[in-house]
Amino acid sequence: MNTLRAAWLVALKDLQLEMRSKEILTSTGLFAILVVTLGSLAFYTDPVSSPNVAPGVLWISILFCGILLIGRSWALERENDAVFGLLLAPIPRPSIYIGKTISALVLLFTIELLLVPLCLVFFQIEPAGIMLPLLALVFLGSLGFVSTASLFSAVGIRTRARDLMLSVLVFPLVAPALLASAVATRELFAGASMAEVIGWIRILTAFDLLFVGFGVWVSRHLLAET
Amino acid sequence: MKLDFEEVSVAGLAKSYGPTLALAGVDLRFEAGKVTAIQGSNGSGKSTLLWLLAMLAYPTRGEIRYGRYGVSRADELRGRIGFVAHQLQLYPGLSGHENLVLAAKLQSIPYAEKRATDLCEALSLGEYWNRPVRTYSRGQAQRVSIARALLHQPRLLLMDEPATGLDVRSTESFIDLIEQQKREGAIVLIVTHEAKFAGAVADRILHMDRGRIVGPEA
Repeated sequence: MNTLRAAWLVALKDLQLEMRSKEILTSTGLFAILVVTLGSLAFYTDPVSSPNVAPGVLWISILFCGILLIGRSWALERENDAVFGLLLAPIPRPSIYIGKTISALVLLFTIELLLVPLCLVFFQIEPAGIMLPLLALVFLGSLGFVSTASLFSAVGIRTRARDLMLSVLVFPLVAPALLASAVATRELFAGASMAEVIGWIRILTAFDLLFVGFGVWVSRHLLAET
Repeated sequence: MKLDFEEVSVAGLAKSYGPTLALAGVDLRFEAGKVTAIQGSNGSGKSTLLWLLAMLAYPTRGEIRYGRYGVSRADELRGRIGFVAHQLQLYPGLSGHENLVLAAKLQSIPYAEKRATDLCEALSLGEYWNRPVRTYSRGQAQRVSIARALLHQPRLLLMDEPATGLDVRSTESFIDLIEQQKREGAIVLIVTHEAKFAGAVADRILHMDRGRIVGPEA
């Protein structure tokens, strides 16, 4: 079976489980809304300071939400040792990593589709003209983060220190992508045009290609043995 | 094309987990159409041997051959191996049938839904196959796990305590099922603590202690 078909089956299984339980979407979605709401209340903002504060609140919310979501997604695999059912199948090892990354990205982006408008409303930022580049930034930033976090979660199947490893290794690795996302979002909120943020989008795309490529390559070995 | 093999052999097989030696150099041969039962105390290396044969772990030393193929053909060989592990390796949120359909699709079995349904019926999973696995008793979940191992008609069938949780009637049909696998030429390897069950199904019974075979092939 080819890698993409197997990855699609793995992702579909995750989404099927989530559609049934709605556990991840409910818990992480509510958490994300809470962070944005608290952020908008805690920082007393005006039209001048809003564009500077909102990107930080938005990306902190996405970051924590993503960590929760990926942790829960891989916990499903550890329950009953279910992941070994996948490892017993005659499928290329990277397909498990790709499938888990796709499902986590779909779930995170679903939450972001609610989170972004909420953030714009709470921080009184005019959405006209920025929605498309903003969603592109959010998607690319999330892809870089999810692909890296999924890779380390895959390692976590075999280690007890998985949470420690996730926070110690993932945060420094994704820092460049998160910084690029936050700065580009701030510029966008401050009124920068698409042409002005395209450089950041290129940096994010390069980061994503690097980390997805690295993840696919490394997962072949990471998931090969227990 | 599926890889085929008539025997599985291990030579000098050893596995360490850090300082712990789980398997200390095992030499064995398993033939098609024969059932081998392995017994031994906890921690004697029985399950480790199965995990190595299932290619879920790699040996520290030694070699496993599946006929003329080695583990370098792992991705293809997995399509010929069925494994019933002690942990059931099923998704609790999916029904028994959905777990089987997923496994069948990952095994590239044509008409995956039909194959899963047929096996559900053959193993009398009928009345609960559409409920989530988390609502199953151990015995019911064990039957789904056995069904999954048989989905792709494996040449090598590895089972770790497969009779756990099965009632008397299910155990009898399970013994019939093993007989059928044997007739079809499968290489069957069963780890079990139950001497009576081992006696009923096995052509030979091996004993393990501290990572070694201590009888009767020691």
